[in-house]
Amino acid sequence: MQLPSADMRPKLSSRARLQTDKVTGKPVLLYPEGVLMLNPTGHAVVSLCTGEVTFGEIVANLAARYKISPEEISPQIADYLNRLRERNLLELAGANEAKT
Amino acid sequence: MSNRAPRPFSLLAEVTHRCPLHCPYCSNPLELASQASELRTDEWKRVLAEASELGVLHVGFSGGEPLQRQDILELVAAAREAGLYSNLITSSLGLNRRRAEELKKAGLDSIQISFQSDEAALADRIAGTSAHAKKLEAARMVRELGFPLTVNTVLHRGNIERLEQIILLAENLSAERLELANTQYYGWAFKNRAALLPARTQIDRAVEIANAARKRLLGRMEVLFVVPDYYSDRPKPCMHGWGQKHLTVNPAGEVLPCPTAHEIKSMKFDNVREKPLAWIWAESEAFNRFRGTEWMPDPCRSCEFREVDFGGCRCQAALITGDATMTDPACKLSPQREALTAFVEASQKAGPGFALNGEEILFRQNA
Repeated sequence: MQLPSADMRPKLSSRARLQTDKVTGKPVLLYPEGVLMLNPTGHAVVSLCTGEVTFGEIVANLAARYKISPEEISPQIADYLNRLRERNLLELAGANEAKT
Repeated sequence: MSNRAPRPFSLLAEVTHRCPLHCPYCSNPLELASQASELRTDEWKRVLAEASELGVLHVGFSGGEPLQRQDILELVAAAREAGLYSNLITSSLGLNRRRAEELKKAGLDSIQISFQSDEAALADRIAGTSAHAKKLEAARMVRELGFPLTVNTVLHRGNIERLEQIILLAENLSAERLELANTQYYGWAFKNRAALLPARTQIDRAVEIANAARKRLLGRMEVLFVVPDYYSDRPKPCMHGWGQKHLTVNPAGEVLPCPTAHEIKSMKFDNVREKPLAWIWAESEAFNRFRGTEWMPDPCRSCEFREVDFGGCRCQAALITGDATMTDPACKLSPQREALTAFVEASQKAGPGFALNGEEILFRQNA
């Protein structure tokens, strides 16, 4: 698996919609013909995929929140982002592209 | 798996059977619902709200051609209000820029456009009308407006040799999803199956092409290839189980566990005009008839795959064996498998393409 570079700014694809599920009260990510029921960690990652926050900042944020070292959490977040990307739910804009 | 009703995730809202296309592979029933019998705007709005309360997250507006409904904007807005993720499943005929912009404003989330092939001459012959050029224009416009686009092509002997070009077309249109759906043999398609079923060699080649495309386009375009179960040893896990995840409401308001359940002639379907959707889903005879595994005969009952494929497709069992309670004959363990095998073997002799002008194919007609 390849780690995104620290200055990448992942952005949730416009084809995905994050909302609260009426039945469970939990966050769900909806996209064409699919749905991801998000656990709290997944929700935290997805919420930070705004195109404004860098991968490095996401790692730092979640490491602090879950009291885990950045080295340990970084591959887990990368893996999660990669799975979103494979479903075509993520744009991995570089630092420069994100500003446009 | 218990018989208690689980939560449904998706609703197919077949808002009309009217359609400008005449595709001979249509899975709509041969007896199409008339415009006069269609649910009214307020009735559809109630269905959408009730579906959302039940737990449904996705609604596909389909038909027929959903754009034939003058109130489609209102229905899309109602879906959005109910928190449903909406998909317009369309031929795109009737989709001009103004209407597409209005749909966007109303909250439509995504659009799926059908293509009959990659180029006009063949595509228009299959559709039975001049549509391909309009579809190209509509697909480009949809992307310009920022809608996620799914391209759907139903594959059969008449177009399967064009698979590579069809994939290329979807790429050129910047589709984010491509559904390559081998014809499912129900409704008009079942009537035409001798003309539509590709040869085994064509299917094998198509699988290779689709797999290569899926790998190449990973992360850019999702490529879905639906295998024809006539060529498989195991039945498809139809609808992920009867009454488990999905419901269809047809134009006249009947609620079906799958879009082709009309093939089971012995079955009565409750109507949203008479009963609440929640009751139909949880309590109605039709939804409980094949829910879970209790109903299964052997070989399904004792099969280790009974909760993997759920005994396959009830509609196919009804169509081919005359009895919806039998094991799907697409399963190699089915005692009626021979009926399917004989048909498939007879199809191997036919050449590519089908005689579109001949009497052997029946184009879909409107009600």
